[in-house]
Amino acid sequence: MAASAGSSVIVESTAAQYAPLIILLPMLAFPIILLFGKLYNGEKFWKDNLKEGGLIALPVMGASLLLALWLISDFIGAYGGVQKLSDWTWFTSSIWESGFATQEVSFGFGIHVDHITVLLLFVASFLCLLINTFAVGYMNTDPINDNRNHRFYAEFVLFCSGMLGMVLADSFLWLFIFWELMGLCSYLLIGFYYERPSAAYAAKKAFLTTRVGDVFLMVGLAMMWYLFGSLDYDVVFDKYEIKAVAETNASMLAWSLGLMFIGAVGKSAQFPLHVWLPDAMEGPTPVSALIHAATMVNAGLYLVARMFPFFGAEALHGELADLAFIIAAIGGTTAVMAAAIAFVQDDLKKVLAYSTMSQLAYIFTGLGAALYLANTLHWHEYLTDGTKNPDYYVNHAIVIVAFGAALFHLFNHAMAKGMLFMASGAVIHEVHHAHHHLHHHDHDESHHDTPEELIMLANYLEANGQTAFDFFSSIDLDGSGEIDTYEFQTALKKADVVDLPPWEMAPLMKALDLDGNGSINVPELDLTLGRIRKEIEEGHHDDHHDDFDAQSMDNMGGLASKMPLTATAMLVGSLSIMGFPLIGGFWSKEGIIANTWRVALEDPRFMYPALCVLLGAGMTGFYMSRMWLKTFAGSPKGEVAAHVGPTNTWIKTPLFILTFFSLAGILFASMGFTHWAPDIEYGLMSDHGGLWGGFLYEMEHVFANEKAFFFILTYVALFIGAVVGPGMALSLYGGALDEGEEAKAWFTPVLALNAAVKGRYHWDNSSFAQSGFATALSNRLYFDHYYDMAMLKIVAAFSFKSAEADSKVIDGTIKTIERTSQQLSTKLRALTTGSARDYILMAAVGTLTLFALIWGVIA
Amino acid sequence: MIDWISIPLVGLPLVSSLVLLAFVANADGSTRERLGSTIRMVSLVISLAMLALTTMMFFAQSQSLMYEALGLDKALDWTGLGFGSFNFEFRYMWIEALGIHWSVGVDALSFPMVWLTTFLLPVTIVATWNEKYAATYFPLILMMGGALIGVFVALDLFMFYVFWELTLIPMFFLILKWGGKDRKYASQKFFIYTFTASVVMLLGLVTLYFLQPDQALSYSGSWTGRTFDIPTLTAHAQQGNADGAWFLGESMQKILFVMLMLGFLVKLPSVPFHTWLPDAHVQAPTGGSMLLAGVMLKMGAYGMFRLPLAFFPHAAEHFQFWLLALGMISLVWGAIVCLGQTNLKKMVAYSSVSHMGVILIGIATMQPLGWAAALFMMFAHGIISPMLFAVCGAFKHHYHSMEIGAMRGMAQHSPWLATSMMFAWMASLGLPLLAGFVAELMMFLALWHFLAANDWSVLWMVGPALVLALTAAYYLWSMQRTIFEGGKETQPPATLHGEPVPDIADSEKFAMIIMAVFTILFGVMPWIALDMMNGWTVGFFETLLIPILGGA
Repeated sequence: MAASAGSSVIVESTAAQYAPLIILLPMLAFPIILLFGKLYNGEKFWKDNLKEGGLIALPVMGASLLLALWLISDFIGAYGGVQKLSDWTWFTSSIWESGFATQEVSFGFGIHVDHITVLLLFVASFLCLLINTFAVGYMNTDPINDNRNHRFYAEFVLFCSGMLGMVLADSFLWLFIFWELMGLCSYLLIGFYYERPSAAYAAKKAFLTTRVGDVFLMVGLAMMWYLFGSLDYDVVFDKYEIKAVAETNASMLAWSLGLMFIGAVGKSAQFPLHVWLPDAMEGPTPVSALIHAATMVNAGLYLVARMFPFFGAEALHGELADLAFIIAAIGGTTAVMAAAIAFVQDDLKKVLAYSTMSQLAYIFTGLGAALYLANTLHWHEYLTDGTKNPDYYVNHAIVIVAFGAALFHLFNHAMAKGMLFMASGAVIHEVHHAHHHLHHHDHDESHHDTPEELIMLANYLEANGQTAFDFFSSIDLDGSGEIDTYEFQTALKKADVVDLPPWEMAPLMKALDLDGNGSINVPELDLTLGRIRKEIEEGHHDDHHDDFDAQSMDNMGGLASKMPLTATAMLVGSLSIMGFPLIGGFWSKEGIIANTWRVALEDPRFMYPALCVLLGAGMTGFYMSRMWLKTFAGSPKGEVAAHVGPTNTWIKTPLFILTFFSLAGILFASMGFTHWAPDIEYGLMSDHGGLWGGFLYEMEHVFANEKAFFFILTYVALFIGAVVGPGMALSLYGGALDEGEEAKAWFTPVLALNAAVKGRYHWDNSSFAQSGFATALSNRLYFDHYYDMAMLKIVAAFSFKSAEADSKVIDGTIKTIERTSQQLSTKLRALTTGSARDYILMAAVGTLTLFALIWGVIA
Repeated sequence: MIDWISIPLVGLPLVSSLVLLAFVANADGSTRERLGSTIRMVSLVISLAMLALTTMMFFAQSQSLMYEALGLDKALDWTGLGFGSFNFEFRYMWIEALGIHWSVGVDALSFPMVWLTTFLLPVTIVATWNEKYAATYFPLILMMGGALIGVFVALDLFMFYVFWELTLIPMFFLILKWGGKDRKYASQKFFIYTFTASVVMLLGLVTLYFLQPDQALSYSGSWTGRTFDIPTLTAHAQQGNADGAWFLGESMQKILFVMLMLGFLVKLPSVPFHTWLPDAHVQAPTGGSMLLAGVMLKMGAYGMFRLPLAFFPHAAEHFQFWLLALGMISLVWGAIVCLGQTNLKKMVAYSSVSHMGVILIGIATMQPLGWAAALFMMFAHGIISPMLFAVCGAFKHHYHSMEIGAMRGMAQHSPWLATSMMFAWMASLGLPLLAGFVAELMMFLALWHFLAANDWSVLWMVGPALVLALTAAYYLWSMQRTIFEGGKETQPPATLHGEPVPDIADSEKFAMIIMAVFTILFGVMPWIALDMMNGWTVGFFETLLIPILGGA
């Protein structure tokens, strides 16, 4: 890091002294909320006044935010100096390399504050507080959450603690520790509605998929530790240390960073480890907003951004360019793939999930480009040989602006996507309520949980004219009258009824094993199958499920008039994500596209990510517009959407604040956020003459770039992203609101444009919608399918075979040895003649042999 | 110094268990029933007193109150004790002719194990508070504890072997009397399998005894002129191994190394000698499993450090590849087989096999870091695995089944049990800030350091990496099918015959909380135990290993 390389002092400010509290406060709130919940669930004060823990979490997150703001203002005041709180030793051990002594190695914990920390610290602590506020309005108003909100808030604060800890930690080791802690909370919160099989599946999937990435990350860390003897930023970012490593083992360092990047791919849901993120939407919406949009998924980006000092080091000049390309290429691929899948999603949250994936991919591409530039340009003041760098000023600016654009997009995306999720939550919440309001159905839910396989078995027996007894005796070969899991499984497979793996047999056994002795007998089989036959005949087997989907956009439409604030927030958020001129994400997205193309001009490989991000801009414009129009414009689809009401204050407040943050993108850009990067000469509002100067500079830089290439590129990107994409959506979806529905004034132009475009240019997209490609997209390009198959058919099947081999081959060998020795001893028993003379002889011979042996050995 | 080991930590539990057993030996069923709760309370008090003593010994390294209470005039030093030195070292003549002593002492290798045993005794008693036949069960648990501590404190090979075999007896009866359906088969298999391996080890020990040169080593027998004293033999072996020479000659050293290791590898257990473990665990009662997995397996690892690695470092270096390979195979094979299990307790048992592979890998790295990882794994697994088995026991107790998937939606019925399970599973899969993570991390770093520094193939790293993912897979998959799912109206399993499902009892809750607290404690503050372990490994390396191996 430029700052730690001697150009600035390492300060230890008062705010940094208190920084551990930012992590500790929420961590301590975790057991408190959990315990109080256990004790006071169901009591009125706990439920109404403390919101089942929501109002314990809120002040804690507020305190964390205040401490974080203090730290940030201290940092900015110190003009970009890296702040560090001396670390505490966690544990020590030793290694032996050479010579006659061991060297002590120690692992510690401390606080490290630099530009990247500050940016993410603000994003995390600010959004944690806002989303906590939202959660109080969202979670506590749904009866399904009664008496379990404490679990939600406890896990929520633990998550916040993990995120803040990851950002503040001063070593890759503790980054990883908090990273895993977040993974745990993500797992717990996705599985919040544990009784739903889909939630249980999604939680497992999220944990395991990210775990695959984490494994690589851990190997990468082990490599880095070997190279530097430490994982502390102080050590690994030190340019002399890097130089020493670069001279001896640059390739291992490249591998280490590459493997760590795979960890980032998993955590930030990038191709090919992206499959968990859409399923993670099983969690409650505040969780989606916080963990799976605004904070945790940024962890991967944070990790890659943290690697900047390696890429920027003169000693590694050009060594890491390939890795930078891989980062950008993974980003480009995911950006387009996720956007394409978002085209066909009808679930509001799923659209946002794919959008998140796609936007994170943008940031990866931007980081890849920035890291490439940092690694291939001479951008330091002095070259390695100590001479002054002639291109210092130009190259330095290029690198800083490229890196800043990617980080700024992280900021903009977190604000906008957090808001979009909360707004979508508000919509879903109200649609759900309207649905419940309309349909007061209290149908009885007393249906049997008969496993489908048993119905198949009953049908099979019926078709073959067999009775339960016939079937039973065909299985129970040993005639013991009882059959166990494996016998039953084999029989089902043999009869070609169903081929279940043994670990899926438990529900069947459970349904049949009436007396609970672990095996099945004839009466049990007969009784159950008889009941099933009866049910089939009486047609008892229709589903009583309530199949209304409050998240489907097909149940919405025309909500702009009913939920004006939510619709506004959603509009602003969508425009920010799309990169609509002057709003939020526009500034950073333009920067990412421009910088990727800048690299593409240097290195033709980068044409791929560069084209991807350009194409992706148009796709983003399309799917975000589609989402807004399907939800808020046109006529209500169905009775429910017509009865949706406005939402509550807890939900509105964060939406309002974040709408401002997205609209204020131009303000942040003018303040110099576009080059918010690790270098002291580019501090806030420092280089272009204050806010106004910054504004003029940004406007000129973006809209009237002196270089013809970038001038044209800007307008091409704008045309694709803000005209073509949204235009196509306008012609296909939405339309004017119903007669008599009034919308706020600022919606009028949008809706009018929508109605006009749709009326004039509406086209038939059914041929696309029915094409194989669209089917593939709605099946998520079959990634999930093949991953699941690989898990079940290869990994699980192999492990089952292994378990069998373990008991048959390994244990079998032991048993054979045992049996053989038993037979041998039976033969030996023949020596037991009963005659005293024989015994004396044997004893004498034995003793003599023993003595001879001992004597021989000693002598 | 007062001998706080022989009587309070070894003699007391053994003798009191025998007295208690003798007390009820001739009583009829109803009397036993009546005496059960008293005996349980007596056992608990004894085990708590032992825990208090070992805890005082720990704090005696800094707190004057503690070391004065122990009758010492200065603080005990665990961390900087130095290799070959012991605290509370006492010798009493036992059989003079053969040089057998009752010889005890603890250093930073054995002390954590001793503390762990005394910690697990009361926890096991509380966790299985309502076990049937209390009048005989709890004395057996005490006897188990006494025998285990005897193994760890013994500084005499003969005494070591006696206690080594003594541990089999209470465990054999625990499985035989309190076990499941196939308890007879399991207890016999357990006994014969580990006994056979121990006999090989015994042969190795006896050979070692006779092969000592006939010169007056300390504590040698008046008739044989040879010693069983471990510190003496270690020092003697150290000289024999110096300057590139092989103590006892190259081939004999290799043979003896293999013989001793065989006994320890079966106990650990390492693949392919592990198949007694799942059978023993599945059939054993909860308390038996807790002690078996918690401490008994660690006897194997402890023995390796104490005997073969100290006596035969040349052979250890020679067999380094095989140690690493065995460790790797145990680690990977254990994890793969775990994934294929349908029985909850069997899965947990195989996870022990996998975790014990970590210990072997740590040893094979021949790095202080790797050895400290192994020592910390012994300790951390000693706290986490009893919790795993306590959860399994409670599961069986509630749902009368061990099949994964027999009960779904446990979070609904038994939130305490579900939470305990989630915690224990997460701890075992190596979640950061819980005890197991530190050991895994250290092993990972040590292994890579070893591979990279010695130009071994990086492919060795594939195993541990794969297992990180596999471990998460089998634990998460089993949780998906037990804690989660089940729908809103979760039906209790048919095995309950419509009885309501109770959550775990208060005593079980208490035991779970204690184990969880210590898992967190040693995960957040690993230095408490690691400092002394590191001190011991550094001592071992600098005093013994590096002079022997470094010069070569």
